[in-house]
Amino acid sequence: MKKGLSGNTRGLIKLTVLRVIVYAILIFLCILCLFFFYLMLVNASRSNAQLATGFSLVPQENFFKNLVNAWNDSSINIPRGMLNSLIIALATAVLTTYFSALTAYGVHAYEFKGKKFVFTFIIAVMMIPSQVSALGFIQMMNKFHLNNSYIPLIVPGIAAPVVFFYMKQYMESVLPLDVIDAARVDGSGEFRTFNTIVLPMLKPAIAVQMIFSFVSSWNNYFIPALLLDKAEMKTVPIMIAQLRSADYSKFDMGKVYMFILLAILPVLITYIFLSKSIIKGVTAGSVKG
Amino acid sequence: MSTVQLKNIKKVYPFSGGDTKRPKKEKKGGTAPEKKNNLQITDEGVVAVQEFSLDIADKEFIVLVGPSGCGKSTTLRMVAGLEEISGGELYIDGELVNHVAPKDRDIAMVFQNYALYPHMTVYKNMAFSLSLKHLPKDEIDRKVREAAEILDITEYLIRKPKALSGGQRQRVAIGRAIVRAPKVMLMDEPLSNLDAKLRNEMRAEIIKLRKRIDTTFIYVTHDQTEAMTLGDRIVVMKDGFIQQIGTPQEVFSHPANLFVAGFIGMPVMNFFDAELTEENGRYFVELGGLRTELSAEKEARLKARGVRSQSVTLGVRPEHVDLADEGAAATVDVSEMMGSSVHLHLTAQGRSMIMIVPTVSMADIPSMGQTVHFSFIGAVAHVFSKETGANLEF
Repeated sequence: MKKGLSGNTRGLIKLTVLRVIVYAILIFLCILCLFFFYLMLVNASRSNAQLATGFSLVPQENFFKNLVNAWNDSSINIPRGMLNSLIIALATAVLTTYFSALTAYGVHAYEFKGKKFVFTFIIAVMMIPSQVSALGFIQMMNKFHLNNSYIPLIVPGIAAPVVFFYMKQYMESVLPLDVIDAARVDGSGEFRTFNTIVLPMLKPAIAVQMIFSFVSSWNNYFIPALLLDKAEMKTVPIMIAQLRSADYSKFDMGKVYMFILLAILPVLITYIFLSKSIIKGVTAGSVKG
Repeated sequence: MSTVQLKNIKKVYPFSGGDTKRPKKEKKGGTAPEKKNNLQITDEGVVAVQEFSLDIADKEFIVLVGPSGCGKSTTLRMVAGLEEISGGELYIDGELVNHVAPKDRDIAMVFQNYALYPHMTVYKNMAFSLSLKHLPKDEIDRKVREAAEILDITEYLIRKPKALSGGQRQRVAIGRAIVRAPKVMLMDEPLSNLDAKLRNEMRAEIIKLRKRIDTTFIYVTHDQTEAMTLGDRIVVMKDGFIQQIGTPQEVFSHPANLFVAGFIGMPVMNFFDAELTEENGRYFVELGGLRTELSAEKEARLKARGVRSQSVTLGVRPEHVDLADEGAAATVDVSEMMGSSVHLHLTAQGRSMIMIVPTVSMADIPSMGQTVHFSFIGAVAHVFSKETGANLEF
């Protein structure tokens, strides 16, 4: 008989060590993700002078002072900016997701000539960065007299190849064509089938894409900065940039951090609200698995 | 009244530049149709169904049966309006419906994989089509509960499909179809996803259901047992063509060709190379020293068709072959004890064959390698043309 640990004990030790390593890595990554949020929270509680002294992990007493300063800043209107961003981000998220799902449904559920070309073309568009066409786009919007309007910020976003691609791939895995056929036989028109049968089956994908679209639109600085001049139309990212570029006499970094903190709140709320829908097994039971 | 007429129906899937390649052009002239995976490929595309003509009477139960890819589901989907009809005419109740949308055909369909709406409860699944018709709520409720009662699913009405077993889900799918009291009920292999026990139970349920709802049924299956037990008439299909239409008994007893003979019946029919001899209006089949005269009925049919002496493919069902002291010789390969009978797998005249012998008429089960003799009576022998495979009687 061999002396020492049995095979089972050695296996158990190996498993425990592996688990410890895995958990250590996960905890490290978690801290890495949350650290910057914590730092922002700490900085939002420090005055400009305190911030100038350097890095600190200890929260200070100026949180509410910064909040009042930011809220009452005469050069920016935070509630208005947040409302503007909210209108644009919500409209973009809803419309982008709906129309991308509709397009993906068209390509997924119907047979038509040139279907493969349409799919490839949409995917090809995905490869073009928005900055490439930005100048032409701005010129065109100026000619349409659509600068200082939310339309150029919302409507072009509807054509979102990335969202389309995600929806199409999701449909491939969860949307059996028999369910669509069953609805047709049941007397449902094509639009009703999409709205009442297909959309609810895509709920998790819609939630994911709504979050992504909302966050991306909420954070969008490039195009709004080129299009929006009027103070009452400006969005949160523009206002943050404005605060940061304020002249030396008015510059208050505590106020900037407080505004950034306020700016991420709607994104967090959206995530918490929609993440409930990101659940597995929404389509379970539809067809034989 | 709900009759269905299919007149020379054809379905061609045009080339989409995808999976199926166009046939190569010949050097001169057009293209010759080629066959790949049993499907005919022409210049137009892949031909899935052709020359399909069938008159379905009111309240008749028609079963389309055939192997995978024979076009039975495509035909059903054309009746449902889910596939475009490439050629021919489809009438429901005498009205041409080739271009009528599925929702306006007054049909209901049960799918192989249930196709339930996963986010709706059983009740809402069943009520969906009725609510689209804007029926009053109390009427919808009454109809849903009636259908649920028939199918014994009342207690599951508030559940969602994911909380049901396969059999229960298929009941819901059937319930969703019958709640509308359609003119024509279409069923696309509804029992294929169920296990053997449940399939038998559901088959009996469908027979009962048919008596209760009393409408026209078109049922697609690849399972010949379902076809034989459910159908008033069976349509046997292969490679997009109808092979035979008849009652289960007709198809079993008088198969139109080798394919039908081999497809219908379990275990499959035994086939031998034999000689058909005509002597003064009497017909004999000769197989390895066994000479059997055909029945008078068969002889009359062969005579009427002017069939001469020739080499034929002889078909005899396993249950119609008997062990005999004299007759054609065969070697036992395997014997399977099935309880009430023994299935003997034999080799005779260079071909494999099966014989079903009742246990009671058997003193000893022949052992492997043993030589036995068999015979059959003329009434159960089927003679098929060597060239065309058609039954020479018809």
